[in-house]
Amino acid sequence: MSAHSLELLYLLVRKDLKVRYKSSVLGYLWALANPFAFALVYWVAFKYIMRVQMENYSLYLITGIFPWVWLSSGITQATRSYQNNASLVKKVRIPRAILPLSSVAQEMAHFLFALPVIVGFLMFAGGFELRASWLWQLPLLLAVQLAFVYPIALVFAVGNVYVHDIEHLVGLAFAMLFFLTPMVYPISMVPEGLRRWFELNPLHALMDSWRGVFLSGTLDGGKLGYAVACAALFGAVAWLCYRRFAPRIGEVL
Amino acid sequence: MTAALECRDLWKSYSSKRVGLKTLLLRPEVARTSRYARRWALQGVSFKVSRGQGFGVLGANGMGKTTLLSVLLGIVQPDRGSVSVQGRVASLLELGAGFHPELSGRDNVFLYGSILGMRLHEVEERYHAIVEFSELGDAVEEPLRTYSNGMVTRLGFSLIAHAPADVFLIDEVLAVGDARFQEKCRRHLQEFRKRNGTLVIVSHDMEALAEVCDEGIRLEMGEVTDAGPIGDVVRRYQRP
Repeated sequence: MSAHSLELLYLLVRKDLKVRYKSSVLGYLWALANPFAFALVYWVAFKYIMRVQMENYSLYLITGIFPWVWLSSGITQATRSYQNNASLVKKVRIPRAILPLSSVAQEMAHFLFALPVIVGFLMFAGGFELRASWLWQLPLLLAVQLAFVYPIALVFAVGNVYVHDIEHLVGLAFAMLFFLTPMVYPISMVPEGLRRWFELNPLHALMDSWRGVFLSGTLDGGKLGYAVACAALFGAVAWLCYRRFAPRIGEVL
Repeated sequence: MTAALECRDLWKSYSSKRVGLKTLLLRPEVARTSRYARRWALQGVSFKVSRGQGFGVLGANGMGKTTLLSVLLGIVQPDRGSVSVQGRVASLLELGAGFHPELSGRDNVFLYGSILGMRLHEVEERYHAIVEFSELGDAVEEPLRTYSNGMVTRLGFSLIAHAPADVFLIDEVLAVGDARFQEKCRRHLQEFRKRNGTLVIVSHDMEALAEVCDEGIRLEMGEVTDAGPIGDVVRRYQRP
């Protein structure tokens, strides 16, 4: 990636964030307030009202849902990134692969804003302590998830230019995957015979890695390796797909 | 003189029926040779533009002028033929294609500059010249949505005019702002050419074309039907 592309990516992400928060009174505080309110609702609902018989269930939800939102919103928004920026595709020459990347990076920025909220809940509501291992585990997981999400986002974005059905399918798929990954119950509740199929889901490996890091400071090498291998495979597929279909985006759009 | 820009035997067609993903994936040969009603946008277009030259493209609407510029810029792939361009290209196919109404003029200058291929330090170096040329003054700190149309186009043209480029592709945007500002733009384009910059302009404004170009072609249904010194091409176009 050239220095120019990095600068362009930075400006595109900054534009989206600025446009989203600039004209409001609280500005960037909203980027913190939203995840905080979200986490608070989960905390109260599952800790005090619907008391689920599982240790730290509220924290289990909170530590999984934020990385999930980055993944699913990033891909969902990237899928429409060429349509939403049609004039940039048809009227100027930019590296086209950068548009879905800027959607993913923007959602990643929101996840980064949410990190202090997650850590705050772990410490003050859950009584956990800060872990030194987070210093390398969190950046590593961030990099893996970015490498995992971007190729998927790129394929869907390019595909959606040709077949508009993809954006609807993506929305539907993530609604279902939220329960299949699973995000709201531990995989140990899945019946024995089905469980190994659930474990094949690379999204599960990724999300469980986040929960492991946040809740116990451990990173399962097998799960992380599986996520990395899938990311590499998606990357190869995305590269082939992009090379084949991207040159004609300008005229099909 | 070396050719700054050359295209050889360009062909481009658009199929009016969309070829679906399934066809593209499973039967690429069908997609390529299908007998769907095709419309030729370019048919065997060839020409050469020397460094420091101005080159005008004439033609009525829908004759392939914009397609030609898109191919020269590399946004659209030709079916056949090749394009070679020497040096950096700046393009103005649509004024403010990357502008965002909520951002200030300043933020838009940096964003659009980057979209046009400039590095941040390059925009930085030119920032004052850009703002001065646009005559926006302090309004540059205000969000773009508060601008009049004239102000937006002036800012867009100023930015592109200061982009470091050897070849400049312009589509139909010489009508920027009021008469005085238009005059300023033309002068700027003349200076650009004196510095050995190359211009390719598509326009309906015959007078402007005759002023800033040396040579030109006329496109009809994607075919070159006339070529030569711009004065002659314009004259024959107006009185067939």
